[in-house]
Order: sequence, then structure tokens, then C-alpha cells
Amino acid sequence: MPAGLSISIGQCSEAGRKSANQDFYGALIPEGPLLGLKGVAIVLADGISTSEVGADASETAVKSFLTDYYCTPDSWSVKTSAQRVIAAVNSWMHAQNRPMRLLEDKDRGYVCTLSALVIKSTTAHIFHVGDGRICRVAGRTLEQLTEDHRVIVSSAESYLGRALGINSQIEIDYRSLPVEPGDLFILATDGVHEHVTPRFIAEVVAETPDLDGAARRIVEEAYRQGSSDNLTVQIIRVDAVPRGEAAEVVAHASELPPPPLLEARAEFEGYRIVRELHASSRSHIYLATDEQDGARVAIKIPSIDRRGDPAYMQRFRMEEWVARRINSAHVLRARESSRKRNYAYLVTEFVDGQTLAQWMVDNPRPGLHKVRDIIGQIAKGLQAFHRLEMLHQDLTPANVMIDVTGTAKIIDFGSTSIAGIEGDGAAADRTDIAGSIQYTAPEYFLGEGGTQASDIFSLGVIAYQMLTGRLPYGTAVAKLRTRAQLRKLRYASAVDDHRELPGWVDAVLRKAVHPDPARRYGELSEFLFDLRQPDKAALGIPAAPLLQRNPLVFWQATSALLAAIVVGLLIYLGLRR
Amino acid sequence: MSFAGSGWVPQPKGYAVSYLVPSEFVTKMIDAGEAKILMSTRDTLVRAYMAGAILALAAWFAVTINVNTGQPLVGAILFPVGFCMLSLFGFDLLTGVFVLSPLAWLDKRPGVTMGGVLRNWGLVFVGNFAGALTVAFLMAFVTTFGFTQPPDKVGTTIGNIGEARTLGYAAHGAMGMVTLFLRGALCNWMVSTGVVGAMISTTVPGKVIAMWMPIFVFFYMVFEHSVVNMFLFPSGLMLHAPFSISDYFIWNEIPTVLGNMVGGLAFTGLTLYATHARTAPKRSVALKHAA
Repeated sequence: MPAGLSISIGQCSEAGRKSANQDFYGALIPEGPLLGLKGVAIVLADGISTSEVGADASETAVKSFLTDYYCTPDSWSVKTSAQRVIAAVNSWMHAQNRPMRLLEDKDRGYVCTLSALVIKSTTAHIFHVGDGRICRVAGRTLEQLTEDHRVIVSSAESYLGRALGINSQIEIDYRSLPVEPGDLFILATDGVHEHVTPRFIAEVVAETPDLDGAARRIVEEAYRQGSSDNLTVQIIRVDAVPRGEAAEVVAHASELPPPPLLEARAEFEGYRIVRELHASSRSHIYLATDEQDGARVAIKIPSIDRRGDPAYMQRFRMEEWVARRINSAHVLRARESSRKRNYAYLVTEFVDGQTLAQWMVDNPRPGLHKVRDIIGQIAKGLQAFHRLEMLHQDLTPANVMIDVTGTAKIIDFGSTSIAGIEGDGAAADRTDIAGSIQYTAPEYFLGEGGTQASDIFSLGVIAYQMLTGRLPYGTAVAKLRTRAQLRKLRYASAVDDHRELPGWVDAVLRKAVHPDPARRYGELSEFLFDLRQPDKAALGIPAAPLLQRNPLVFWQATSALLAAIVVGLLIYLGLRR
Repeated sequence: MSFAGSGWVPQPKGYAVSYLVPSEFVTKMIDAGEAKILMSTRDTLVRAYMAGAILALAAWFAVTINVNTGQPLVGAILFPVGFCMLSLFGFDLLTGVFVLSPLAWLDKRPGVTMGGVLRNWGLVFVGNFAGALTVAFLMAFVTTFGFTQPPDKVGTTIGNIGEARTLGYAAHGAMGMVTLFLRGALCNWMVSTGVVGAMISTTVPGKVIAMWMPIFVFFYMVFEHSVVNMFLFPSGLMLHAPFSISDYFIWNEIPTVLGNMVGGLAFTGLTLYATHARTAPKRSVALKHAA
């Protein structure tokens, strides 16, 4: 057994002179191959003390980081993985602050600092936002590796310059450095590092072999020095590092290449291919069995046509992360595997069933209860996306599978947009993706970004199509280029000569697929509720007053009217003279 | 630390990676057909207009070469430049949409109706015709110095072609009409093969080579292409060749359009769709007991 990475951790956290401890810390030393693939992660967060949810914020940040980081695809570098994970956490916290109207008041809501240290192979990666601190012991003092994001107003007053949850986008400090056996890293919150001298810390760590005991001594010292804040410190000692292998370096340098096309009965990365399930110019999907445990899985590989397209490959690699992050019965689950990979591909559970598109061909006239059941299941899957601040963006009947038990699952996440992660061009080339533009919300064709309401539009179109066999606007939506055309879109009623449908269901569908995203359902749950309840108000939805619907136009019209009156009066006065 | 897994890693097959396997290019054809049907009227017309114009210019170019060299092979070898240009720029010919659009309808793509297919064909016909007519007028003007002198050799040759391929067919009566139709069918067999050729490779040189071969064949064999004819015959008429507009439509354009439609669908679109798209177990997976 070659010497692998070996790390010892000591931690201590106290509320100190405060009533509650709003610091939160965590560390994860994974077992087996994951240690080689992902390394060890140590995270420290400090919730802001003015907020009642500061403790929740720091806890969420640490837990999400640790869970999500180990879900990222093996093909991502540590830097990419951690930055995307932090960006996603930041977006989630920012979104939590939005409805609470806390954005103006930055001292409340979900706001916290985050300092993370990931040690993988022979490298330490540091990610940092806020005024926590990561240091390395250098002889009898500490080498500060991070910069405090603290804006100093005067000697007595200063405030946090950067933190999670404040803005929708976040700038994350990153640095990496090689590690040697015997290196000691210290993570501390401001309650500690502002009150204890570096020299004291270095000495304590050097003379105390028990790291937890050392952490406790540092915390006690900070308390003695009069720290009024929560006190947390983590000490990390690198006991052994693996020998840096050449292959590992190469794997870092470039991302994994796409595999060749597979054939039945071939062996591929520990899977035996059973047969091809689907082949198109977008992807190839195979049914395979895992040779280790005999489980049936689906393997998806990029098509030859698209593998030269970097944007497509980026989305393909992102898909794995999305599939691992979401845990819902109605979303396809990625399969965890600890085997080393040589190619970029996606392994998921195998869904024994058919696509919703085929189901609709087989069941041209489903009952309302059946439609409700399936739409409800897809909506649950979509909610799992929305809860994580992700938009599916490509919901179509071909992307939903119905298995033999009647469970609906969303299967394709190639176009998913994840809030906070820059550079995903998924929305930009929507019009190039054939096979799904009939379900794409009109705002995408006008070049506007999508919202949760855009996914609701797609779901509404699917519900409409299941009930009527038609599309609510025919193919007109895909031809949209201007706002004027958008206003001319005419909804074709779901009630026609061939179908018997309650009128209120039509009203619900009409609202779900409204061309204006602001006038659709705001939440999936609202749509589902209305689909079950005959809502009297929905039968004749009264238009909201203009003042409420479009205040700008209202005041413009009012001003124009007043101006006309003034001009009229002036003319009248002029004529009388 | 040991990684489980097989030591054997599949190697890429012998073919160049830029070649798409049939299951991929056939789905691309269906997607392309769907995109054309869902395209806005403005875009459809603009793209069809430019396709007609570029192809007409290439035809003028090829006839000029034939006249100057006296060797039709040279013109035929070089004529595909026009087709390659318009295809790479994403413009649409009537002969191409005859093959692609119905595939989306056959594949039951949502919202795609027979009416949508016919609308697409109609718009592309109008656009191609307008583009070809524009070049026909430019050609007639240029070869006669603005109609101030008799046409030069190229203009005269085009006039003769128009006469031979309308009144020439008419002279054979019904069999002439059938011949015309079959030449149209043969033409689009080749031209639509070129349309597919543009989809079987991911690189520009690959696309150009795949498009070049069938277009070269059709031009040398003097098959009847509805869009090329939209240029040759109107320009002949503008140069006072001795045939009428109704001769052109009845004894050339209409049978050619029908021949193109039947030939392209029968020999290329439906065969590829039937053998490569319908074989794939794409839409339904046999329902078995869950293991």
C-alpha cells in the first residue's frame, strides 16, 4: 500500500460571551477512492451576529459545501468544483433573503462568511469569502493565507466587506499551494484570530500533540483575552502525502475525453453493455450492467456530432453534477461509483418504461385524473430543481420517462441552468435545439432569460397536449422574434368539439401557458392546486387594474392626459385674448 | 488503494471521428426538417431567396465555362461550388425541403402538421423563384449591355437550352412529359443525397466533399432541377428565346417540381428514415418485468 494522504484534524467551537454560537464548522475525510478523487475538505462559516438566522446560515453553508462538493463529477478540478458549489450556495442564500425583503437591510437574513480548505493529493486549495482566516504555521508564527474582507471605517468601526448571501454573484478568493508532510493549517473565525497572537497559536500547536486539546486551549485563551464573539478554531495536520503521480497531473491538465461509440456485449469501464437504448445526434444511451454488483444502469455518452462543441461538452459534464445534487423520486438519479474513469460519460439508474411522448401516442385520450397524476409527479421533480435555484429549461415529453410502476421521472438535464454559475450558455442557444422548442417559453425566443415561470410554461404545454393532443399556440411560439408578435399570440381553447373538459381546467391551462411570465402561476404548487380545485374565480379571471399591472403605463397615460388638458387650456386662453 | 474495473479500454473505431453514424445524421435530418417547419415566414423567405440566387449564379457560371471550354464536364465539376456555398450558409432549396420537412411530420413531431409542411414548401418555392429571377434579370442585363445589343454567346446558349428543354419535351408528347418527370426524380435523388451529405460530417471539408459528388453527377447528366430551371428558363425568355411562359411551366417547371418531390422522398428521405430512424428502439422500450 503506497503512502496515501493522511490528515489529522482538531476542532473546537464555543459560543463564548454570546448567547448562541453562530459559527459552524465541518470537515470530511472520505473513505476509499473518494479520498484520492476529491481529497479532504475542511470548512468554517461564521453567521453574522445581527441576524436571527445567522446560525442557520452558517450551518447551511457548511453542510451544503460538504455534501455538494463530494457530488461534483470527478472530471472537474477542485477549483471548478468548489467555486461552483460555493456559488450555488450563495445563490440559494441570496434567494432566501429575497422574499424576506432583507436585501436592503444587510445586517439580517442569511449571510455568513466561508473559509474552506481542500487538500487533495499534494495540493492545498483555499477558498475564502469574508473575515475568517486560514493560516499555515511557519516556525513560531503564522503565515496568513487569506485576506480579511473587512472594510475599516475607523479604528473602532469596521464592517464585513464580502460575504455569502449578499449579492446574487459572488467573488471567491482562490489560491493553491503544495503541501508537505508536517504542514499545519489553522482555520479561525474573527472571534479567535483578533484576540490571540499568532505566536501563541504556533506554540500551542507545536507543543500539544492532541489537536483537539490544542484547539480548546486556543479558544480558552481567546476567551481570556476578552473576545466578545463566538470562538471557533480548526487545526489540520498533514501526516503524509501521496507521491505525486504523473497520471494525476495529466488528469488535472485536461478534462476527460468522450468515449467511442459502444456496442452490445462490449465491456466498458467495468460495465457490460447490454444494448443500445437510444441514439440520436444529441447523445447515445446504452443499457448496461455493473460487473461488480450486477445492477442495471443506463450509460449516456456524447454524440459524435456534438463532441467538438465545447459548450455542449461543458453542459454534458454539468449534467452529472445536477443529477447527483437532486434527490427526488421524480428525477433521474445518477449512480455513485468510485471507480476511476477514463472517459466523460454519465451513469444513471435505468428506468424501465417509456417516454411521455410515447405514452401520449399510446394513450391519446387520458382521463383528467391520469393527467393530473403525471403532471403532479413531473411538477414534484421540477420543484426539486427550483428548490436548489436551478431551472430545467428543457422540459418536454421526450425528457420524461414513465416506468412500469407509473412513476414519472425527468431524465435529461443538459440545459439546466444553475443560479450563480457563470458561463453556462444553455439559454443562449435554445433556438438551435430542435425537438423541444415547441415547449420552450416565449421569453427565451425574445432573448430574455428564463425564470421558474418558464418551466411552468413547459409543464403547462405538456398538460395541454396530454389533454387535447394539440399545442396551445400551435407552432407560433417558436417563430417569435419581437414583443409585438408576442402580444399577437392567441391561445386556442383546450375545449373543442372532440374533447369534454371542464371550463375551469381550460382557464387553469390558459394561465399556466400565458405568454407573459408575470401573469403565469408564480409557483408550481399553485398550478397543481388549481388543477385539482374548480376555482370559481378562475372561470372569469378579472384583469388586474392597470395601475397594478403596469404602473409605468398608467402614470404615463395620466401625465399625457394632464398635458393635453394643460395644452387645451392654454389654447383656450390664447383664443379668448 | 485499488481501482476496480477492467483493464480493457475500447479503442476508437477505424473511421474518422468527423463521420457521423447513420443514427445520428438521420435524427439531424428530422431535426432540420422540424426546424424548417417551425421557422418564421420572414426567415424562410430570406433563406430561400438567397439559395435560389446563389444556385442561379452557379448555373450561369457553369454555362459560361461550358461555352468557353466547349467541354460540359468542366462546368459540371465546378457547378457544385454554388450548392456548397448555399448549404454552408444555411440557405434552403425547394429540393432540400422536399426531403427534410416531411420527415418531421412522419416522426410525429409535436405541432408539425401536413399544412405546416405545405406552407414550408410554398414559401421556399416563392423565395427560390424570386432569387433565381433576380439573377436571371441581372444575367440578361449584363450579357446584352442593358438590352442594347443581342446577347453574347453565353446568353444565346441559355436561350437555346430553354428552347430545347421545353419544346423538345413537348415534341414527344406524353412520353416527353414522363421523361421530364423522371429526369426530375433522378435529379433530386442526387441533390438530396448532397443535402444529406452536408450532415454526415462535422467538418467543413468533409461536408464539401460529401456534397460535391452527387451535385456533380446530376449536373453532368442534365437532370432537371426545379430551382436551376427557375433561372435558365426565365432568363431565356428575357433574351427572347422562342418559347412561351406557359411552355415553360407546363413543359418544364411543374413536371420538374413534381419529379423532384417524388425522387427526393422516394430515393433518399423515406429510405433513410425507414432503415435508420425507425429501426432504432428510440420511442418505446419493451415492458418487461422489472428485475
